[in-house]
This record gives sequence, C-alpha cells and structure tokens, in this order.
Amino acid sequence: MSEQQKRGREPGVCVPWEEKRKELPEIAGDEEIVKRVWEQVDGFGYMYIWQCLVSF
Amino acid sequence: MPTENASTEMEQRYAERLRRYTTAMRNEKPDMVPIRPFVAEFTAKYAGYTAQEVTQDYEKAFAAARKCAADFDWDAVVGNMVYGWSGLTQAIGLKYYAVPGVDLPPDTGFQYIEPPEEDAWMQPDEYDPLIEDPTGYLFNVWLPRVSNDVSPIGAPSSLRNNLSFLKGGMAMLDYFNGFGAQAALLRRESGTVSAISGILKAPFDIIADKLRGYKGLCMDTFRQPDKVLAACEAMAPHLLEVASGGADPEGNVPIGLWMHRGCVPFLSPDQFEKFFWPTLKWIIEELHKRGHQVLFYAEGEWNPNLKYIAELPDLSIVYHVDRGDIFEVHEALGHKFCISGGIPNDLLAFGTTDDVRDCCKRVIDGVARDGGYILDASAIMQDEPKIENIRAMTDFAREYGVY
Repeated sequence: MSEQQKRGREPGVCVPWEEKRKELPEIAGDEEIVKRVWEQVDGFGYMYIWQCLVSF
Repeated sequence: MPTENASTEMEQRYAERLRRYTTAMRNEKPDMVPIRPFVAEFTAKYAGYTAQEVTQDYEKAFAAARKCAADFDWDAVVGNMVYGWSGLTQAIGLKYYAVPGVDLPPDTGFQYIEPPEEDAWMQPDEYDPLIEDPTGYLFNVWLPRVSNDVSPIGAPSSLRNNLSFLKGGMAMLDYFNGFGAQAALLRRESGTVSAISGILKAPFDIIADKLRGYKGLCMDTFRQPDKVLAACEAMAPHLLEVASGGADPEGNVPIGLWMHRGCVPFLSPDQFEKFFWPTLKWIIEELHKRGHQVLFYAEGEWNPNLKYIAELPDLSIVYHVDRGDIFEVHEALGHKFCISGGIPNDLLAFGTTDDVRDCCKRVIDGVARDGGYILDASAIMQDEPKIENIRAMTDFAREYGVY
C-alpha cells in the first residue's frame, strides 16, 4: 500500500477509538471491551456509507 | 414441512450442485457443466410480477428467484439480482434512481440517472478532500448532494435528515439480513447454491458512476491525471474493505465484481492500463491472498484488455464473457481461469429454441471440454429472454454438458 493510501480515515473506521477515548473519563473496568465494541459498532456506520456508494 | 427424506434429498442435491459449481470455478472438470444464470427482471416475468413489484418489495423479488430456482434445474442463482431495493433508496432519499411504477412504467427496470456534467455529484476541484479522507468526503459532501433529505454540513438539521439516517440504516440491515434467510431457503427448498457473496467495483468505475460522472472523469484524465490516479489509490483500500466484509467466509463462492465502463469504447486499452487497472488489480490480488475469488463480470467487449487480465494470479477470478469472442477468451485465459457466459442475450430474446441449443453446443464444444466453464447468458437477464429459450438452454446443458 502506498503512503497515499495510508492517509486519512482507515478502512472500516468513522470515528477512531483514539478520538472517542479522549471523550471518556478514566475507565475503571475493562478498556479493551469498550474499545472492541466501539470499533465494531463504528464499523456499521462505515459500512452504511460505503454500501450506499457501491451497492445503491 | 418437508419430510425427512425430502430434506435429505435436498441437502444431497445442494451438496452435488455446490461441488459441481466450485469444481468448475477451480478450473477443473466437474460431473457436468454448471448452470448459473444471472436472472434479474426475468424472475419477475416468470413468476408473474411486474418490475415495480420486485423492485419495491424485496420479499417478492426473493420469492420470484426461488420460484425460478425450483422450476429450472440450475446449480446456482443470485438471491436477488434486482438489487437496488427502492424501499431503501427512497428511505435515504437518493436522487439518482428512476423507480419502476413511480418514475418509469411499472414493467421497466430501474435506472440510474447520471446528472449533467456541470452538476456532477463531485466537482472537479474536489479531488483533494476525496483523496485525503474518502469516508469523510462521502458523509460530509457526497451524501448531502445525492439525497433529498440529508442536510449539508453546517446547515440546520431536520427531521427528514435524521430519519434518512435512521430509516436508511435500519432498512439496509433488514434487507441484508434478508439475503441470509434467502440463501437458506434456496438451499432448503430447491437445493440451490447462492452464486456470489460480497460486492466489488473498480475505483475508476465508482468515481465515474457515482462521483464525477463518466464524461467529467474522462475530461479529468486529460486535465488532472495525477489527481485521478491518486483518487483511485485512495478509494482502493476502502473498496477492498467492502468486498472483504461481504465475502463468503468459507471461500466457496466468489465476490461479484461488476465491471462497467473500463472497456472499449469507454476507455482505450492505454487509458485502461494507466488509470483503471493498477488499483483494481491490487484489490483482486489482495482478495486472492485472503482466499477469495472474484467473479470478473466483464459486460461489454473486453477482449482488447485480455493481456492485462492475464496478469492476475491463477484461479483468482472467474472470468465472465459478454460481447467478447468466448473462443478467443478461452485461448488467452482458459488455462488460468474458469470462464462463464457467452450465450448472447439477444439470441435468448429473439432467437428460436433451436438457435439457442446450437449456440450452447458451440460454446460447450469450444470452451468446456476440459472443464472450467459455467453456462450463463452474456449479460444480466432482465425481462427480455423468452422463457422457452431459458428452458431450452437449461435442458440442453443437462443433456449435452455431461462429462
């Protein structure tokens, strides 16, 4: 993948976890599960716009 | 409820058809030539629905496909080839669809509307934001332009804006979940394989079809070629992500790659080599590394570009023939890839059943003797084929296409 391809929002991502994390207080529990679920659901938004473009 | 014997028989039929289909796609010789017709509005014609009904009510589209699968001895079909469900497109408020029964007569298939060049969804000076952040560009610029309901960034939001996202998202979820259920019903009711899984389009085609328009993009290849190349490069990883996301996790059936305007006369082979091919080739190679084949559905005349397609890894694609000479294709690519198609749509629409049988015999004799061939029409069948010709094509293949 070229340097150009690496710029910008990554495939599969709308709001990166690193950006969302800054909005959250200290996570007392398991941060990994919060991250995993955030990224999974964020992917739904990604898939929505790209499916609109590609499929419809 | 089917009896246990009927269920077992159907499972056996499914297993037999899956083996036949996947063997051919590995460019090997199965028990007989697989039959995998890409039937769209034809299913409506056969099942007694209008184009409007199958476009606006996807359950009727699914039912029509299942009726065809049950009545014809086909190995694989697509769950619904009238793919653009207007319930979803209307929920989003998309401007670029002409819907049968609303914008078109009820028996005319849906149409994509490309705006005038000066009103293209993406303007010629917007390559940089697209290249920098394709996802952001689509949400912030493209979607508000192509939707009647989505508010532009900075404008006040509205109820219709919010509903567009809510209804669009839920409608998409509902529709895509329906395909899973449809695949299970095809298997259970008629032992039929769902022919493809996942969707891919070439970066250049997407930019032409949905962003700059074909004429605008062609002008851009002369006026700002570096931007066009960079835009294709920026889009490619995302199109790979979309294709991967819908792919068959077991790697049995291919991802559908719908080629549009990359061939002559839309692009010269030189333009194809420079602008269209590099990023598409990269995507196909990446998918191949991940264990997925691509159905390279080459509608139009692609034979001038066969030397490029031959660069792809062996078995990475199933190559579909529309207007190209299928015998030339077999000579150039048959040692590397399974081939499908080659039965002309106009023959199926206007020819006699004898004409159809003669054509099928020529094609099977010419390209299928060593395996690696799947019988299908040249292009997606809308409502034009005569039912008796599809019957003749199917029955002949079953009689003559046995190894």
